[in-house]
Amino acid sequence: MSLQSAVRSPYAAVLIVAALWLVCVPLFSIPPRYLPPLPAVIADGVSVWPDLAAGFWRTLVETVLGFLAGSLLGITFGIAFAASKTLERAFFPIFVALQTVPVIAFGAIVVIWFGNTILAKVVIALYLAFFPVAVNTLRGLEQADPQRIALMKSFGASRLTLFRKLLLPTAAPNILIGMKLAVALSLAGAVVGEWFGDTVGLGVMLLQALYFELIPRVWVLIIACGALGTLLYGALALLERRFVWWRPD
Amino acid sequence: MADLAQAQAGATMPGQPYMELVNVWKRFGEGDKQTVAVRNVDLAIQPGEFVTLIGPSGCGKSTLFNMIAGLLPSDSDGSILVKGKAQQDGALLGKVSFMPQRDLLFPWRTVLDNATLALEVEGMPKRLARQKAEALFPEFGLKGFEQHYPHQLSGGMRQRVALMRTFLFERDLILLDEPFGALDALTRSMMQRWLLDIWEKHRRTVLFITHDIDEAIFLGDKVVVMTARPGTIKCQETITLPRPRDVSVVTTPEFMEVKKKLLAVVEEESLKTFASATMRP
Repeated sequence: MSLQSAVRSPYAAVLIVAALWLVCVPLFSIPPRYLPPLPAVIADGVSVWPDLAAGFWRTLVETVLGFLAGSLLGITFGIAFAASKTLERAFFPIFVALQTVPVIAFGAIVVIWFGNTILAKVVIALYLAFFPVAVNTLRGLEQADPQRIALMKSFGASRLTLFRKLLLPTAAPNILIGMKLAVALSLAGAVVGEWFGDTVGLGVMLLQALYFELIPRVWVLIIACGALGTLLYGALALLERRFVWWRPD
Repeated sequence: MADLAQAQAGATMPGQPYMELVNVWKRFGEGDKQTVAVRNVDLAIQPGEFVTLIGPSGCGKSTLFNMIAGLLPSDSDGSILVKGKAQQDGALLGKVSFMPQRDLLFPWRTVLDNATLALEVEGMPKRLARQKAEALFPEFGLKGFEQHYPHQLSGGMRQRVALMRTFLFERDLILLDEPFGALDALTRSMMQRWLLDIWEKHRRTVLFITHDIDEAIFLGDKVVVMTARPGTIKCQETITLPRPRDVSVVTTPEFMEVKKKLLAVVEEESLKTFASATMRP
């Protein structure tokens, strides 16, 4: 591997940031309130390791469930909107309006409805994940080339065949774009959901750390959330490269 | 009598054209804004015949094509007959093997799966469709490219895949809309000869649109010339050049004579289109 490609690799970027952090904090004597030294953050992370692992797992499950349910619902609504203009005109504005409602306000209601269960977090994650998937599915389905549609019709294709063999594969890259946006949003949804009350989860730990002003702990949790988001995004990108590698031409 | 007619419905009676267009019109819009795209087209295509159609650009060739493919209903004052039977709106869908100008390959399908697309739509099991397509690969010059994706192929190869897809959709009439229009001259002339080879082997009825007079004469049993918009048929010329034809045919006096005649007609129509386009305010 040449130096240039080594510098470009994403792992190198992480190492460089870590090195800068390690060097700059003592060098410029940055007060720990603004940025604690890296060894202190690592030490704090190690000290709460069992809680951290459990929280990571819990938040991961909430995020993934919310993301999957939101994606499924988003794809379903995207398809329904593409199939029926009437449905789109009737429901799309409602969804747009819902999107502008702050997740904090919505989250309080969800917790009243579902209590402090994992379901409440999943629903909040779903609420955030749903919209980008629905919009991108709709846009993707609308992108189908009219000439290709005509070709399929000339072969005598039914609506279902047309959808399965042409429309859905055409929309797939766009659906993936929506899902990549959704995965980050569901993580935010899960973390915020935990703020409304729970005992396990990265969001719970974050709230406690903020309350007791445990600054190194806050950084531990920032890194943990970042790692979780990157992991999920990476998994999605891997799936995309394997199964949805084509671009609409 | 009725039984006899029914028994013969599947076959073409001797001397009966495979397809007949009788007084076919297509108008778009209403009242003052109405434009006539195709006007009073009468055309008969015999079984196994290779008919080429030329005309100035924008003369309604593609509109006519879409009507024959069943994608666009023709106006009610005329009709399209297949084996003597009038076709209702949409009845032609799935009856004509249609290849538009662009290859329209699906980027997510391999060459093999693109070729079998029409068969799959028809409901043929995938394995059977693939077997059928694989047999055609050497003939279409695509052997070894079965598992490639369209973006890995040259323009000429993509066009051959599209043609294979069209051929595998086994219908009596094949519609080709300027299939070689986007290719360079050398590739195009190779593809023309190759198409004639394939056609002579399979003997399907072909209607081929082009704006290239040489191509029209070289390929066709009959050249049909359309007028400027609104398009109608200006003249039909039977080409008697012996088959099989090779490149040298284009320099023979017979070829030149036909070309001269057709060139004059096409030129006249192109000028009309040009004049009406430049005189418009």
